[in-house]
Amino acid sequence: MKLLINGKQVTVDVPDDTPLLWVIREEVGLTGTKFGCGKALCGACTVHVDGKPKRSCVTAVSSVQDKPITTIEGLEATDGTLHPVQAAWVEENVPQCGFCQSGQIMAAVALLAKKGKTVTDEDIDAAMSGNICRCGTYPRIRKAIKRAANAMEEPK
Amino acid sequence: MSLDRRTFLQLAALSSGGLLLGITPGCANPQQVRMEDIAGASGRFSPNVFLTITPDDRVFLAMNKSEMGQGVMTGAAAMIAEELEVPLEKIEPFHTAKNEFRTSVGEAAIETSAGMQITGGSSSTPENWVPMRTAGACAREMLVLAAAKTWGVSASECTAKAGAVIHTDGRKLTYGELSKTAASIPLVENPKLKKPGEFNLIGSRVTRTDAFDKVTGRAVFGADVRLEDLHNAYVIHPPTMGAQASSFDAVEAKKMTGVLDVFAFERGVAVVAKKYWQARAAAATVKVEWSGGLLNGLNSDAMMRDQIKQLEESGTHTLEAEGDVDDALERDDVTVVDVVFDAPFLAHAPMETQNAIVWVREDDVRVWTPNQSPTIIAEGVARVVGVDMSDVKVETPMLGGGFGRKAAPDFACEAAMIAKRVDKPVRVIWTREYDTQAGYYRPQAVARMRGAIDKRGNVLAYSYHGVSQSIFRDMSSMMGAMYPEWIPTIGKRLMVRAGVGFLETGSFADFLATEGVTKIPYAIPNVRVEYTPVKTSLPVMFWRSVGHSFNGFMKEVFMDELAIAAKKDPYTFRRDLIKDSPRDLAVLNKVAEMSNWGEPVEDGWGRGIAVHKSFGTYVAEVVEAGIVDGRIKVRKVWCAVDCGIAINPDVVHAQMEGGIVFGLSAAIDQKIELKDGVVQQGNFDSYPMIRMFESPKIEVAIVNSGEDPTGVGEPGLPPVAPALSNALYQATGVRLRSMPMQDAWDKEGAK
Ligand code: FES
Ligand code: FES
Repeated sequence: MKLLINGKQVTVDVPDDTPLLWVIREEVGLTGTKFGCGKALCGACTVHVDGKPKRSCVTAVSSVQDKPITTIEGLEATDGTLHPVQAAWVEENVPQCGFCQSGQIMAAVALLAKKGKTVTDEDIDAAMSGNICRCGTYPRIRKAIKRAANAMEEPK
Repeated sequence: MSLDRRTFLQLAALSSGGLLLGITPGCANPQQVRMEDIAGASGRFSPNVFLTITPDDRVFLAMNKSEMGQGVMTGAAAMIAEELEVPLEKIEPFHTAKNEFRTSVGEAAIETSAGMQITGGSSSTPENWVPMRTAGACAREMLVLAAAKTWGVSASECTAKAGAVIHTDGRKLTYGELSKTAASIPLVENPKLKKPGEFNLIGSRVTRTDAFDKVTGRAVFGADVRLEDLHNAYVIHPPTMGAQASSFDAVEAKKMTGVLDVFAFERGVAVVAKKYWQARAAAATVKVEWSGGLLNGLNSDAMMRDQIKQLEESGTHTLEAEGDVDDALERDDVTVVDVVFDAPFLAHAPMETQNAIVWVREDDVRVWTPNQSPTIIAEGVARVVGVDMSDVKVETPMLGGGFGRKAAPDFACEAAMIAKRVDKPVRVIWTREYDTQAGYYRPQAVARMRGAIDKRGNVLAYSYHGVSQSIFRDMSSMMGAMYPEWIPTIGKRLMVRAGVGFLETGSFADFLATEGVTKIPYAIPNVRVEYTPVKTSLPVMFWRSVGHSFNGFMKEVFMDELAIAAKKDPYTFRRDLIKDSPRDLAVLNKVAEMSNWGEPVEDGWGRGIAVHKSFGTYVAEVVEAGIVDGRIKVRKVWCAVDCGIAINPDVVHAQMEGGIVFGLSAAIDQKIELKDGVVQQGNFDSYPMIRMFESPKIEVAIVNSGEDPTGVGEPGLPPVAPALSNALYQATGVRLRSMPMQDAWDKEGAK
């Protein structure tokens, strides 16, 4: 089976119904994407498929063959520059334990790709409420999303 | 409890990795020898177990405490950097391995907590306050001496700054360039520490040392550890704690790809495969018959009824008694408030479920597990494998949250039981469901509180009788009946560690159950605090803020009820009663000022206030809340905190925010219930968390008393539940004395 992860083609040999999460972690070896619940309830495993946020713990790997998949490791520019959302996360000191943050960041990146500078509190509530943070970093996530939105270029 | 220099030196002397600082002068000093050996082999300067400076100018900080989100690495790095005179970003903190002396970075086991390596009780910052700064200052003074020696000048002409020593004439040597020479300087024992006014880093906002790794997916948590030939075991756990697999059918599973073995063991049925998902997929085909169990059909509802019944009697232990409470309650010119509170069992539910890797080889057992106490883990695993504790090496990757749960060794012991039978390193990762069901909960607690108020509104009596399971008593039966012999050593050590509380109350086994309701700051002439322990075979454990998590709720809702009975404003009522407790008073006044206490709130909304000291830190909070479409809604929380010197104010803010959100999840929704010995909650659908859309605006202010620093991981939590109940009373006129409050509202309020 062929997958396109972070711009790279990889071939994996797993049963069709294996969750994408475990393929990414165990076969591809990218461990930034986390297991939190396994039931699409917490968002820790969020990745992008075709630019849209997906809960990889309940996504059968066969359903995403040849679609572009992005994980937390794929956000940085090739020169190592952080994605503006990651940079905002550092600025606001968002992470505590950090375990939910890959998923939070992936959800936020997808939100801002859609809303950009116009993002509202309601947008944030709607887009981010699927991602649990047990450490309670929500107020900072909200601030960091707005900071990243402000740092974004005006849409052309 | 902050460590003074002498205690620090004594503890350092106890640590197995060698002395932290020279105590005996001369070349017989083992720490001096250790330092010189390391420098001889690698050119590195490692004057104490915390700190290592390499010739290429890297600075490693060996952490004796677990980073589980509370910012302990950043705090310790700031303390070291402040005295060492290096920029914070230069410090590279890492968890030390238990029992592993890695000369590569001068690492050793660091046992600063009564001979244990353990993280909890919001104790890391106060415990490290003197040692970390001393470690940094020693190194700085030795580096200055090394530069002076190199240049043949007097040390007084040299200054340490930004990772280098500079001579008055402008000559400069970096710490890395000085590392080897510095290791030949006799250990400095009594360095000069900065005074609070001289701090540059301590007290300012800095970027967390772990932020970059945690936003890029680089941070290595338990399940991210890579090892050659690592295998995974999926454990099919029994439906009730301690039940055994009487038979199982794994014919199908054994044929599946990657599966190595399937076997029954003490804690269930283990499916061992190369990959986690292979093991999990195979496990789905295994059929198991269970028998027995440890919980004797425990029913949390029935247990609660029994606990409440015991409130009719006096407590079996009296922890505090002043004046004559009964006399005050029986006077006919007083109003008596007589109420009962309850709080459920709670699971910790860290975002990262429990996990561990164990690799058993002869006399060499290795463990990789995110944990709060490498000492407890090593002790537990050694028992399982049947080796000496010194043969167990424990590595601690990053912790995806802990909240007390990762101080229990059960997950590592489980991995060890499996690893014993497999000739490879084996990893166990718990499912979310099992993580919620595996016990070691916050105890289910009830209390009856009574108070008497005279005609002028003076409080004459305060009485508390709590009935709950004793965490410390449980230590002896922890881990179920299978390995009763495990716990005494751990229990004993914890007792030593908690000795301060023991001495204060004179009743060691029970002080956690009543912490927060004894020694209250309110000036009340007649006080009685009683406690009656109950026993079950379901183990209970430290849960973020421990006894304060329910006692803060009970005490501060009760004070509100007294205020209402006295026809006084809940804020001014408290203020007048705590005027002799200046730190409580300062945070209370601050939060009233921040929230504009007394300003009108629109219909349907109310504000509640609470003040509570825990772990040496004083916190007052105001909550604004109401009921929207039958659902408790919290709009805003104001919080004032006095934790002494705030090492990193931004971490203090973050911990208050986190404690408030964590506390709200518990206050509104969370409960663990058992029916016939089976836990009813599992994943986040039945054990819910506050989510983004329900997360209130939070405003935090630090009140700086200038005292020595105290911890902040837990103290933000206790005031939020009572402030919420008090707010809902103002909003609705209904008094909620039971957690979770949404359940209580559905029962009482919706009537
Ligand atoms: S692990 Fe996928 S949503 Fe929780
Ligand atoms: S930072 Fe710990 S769960 Fe979000």
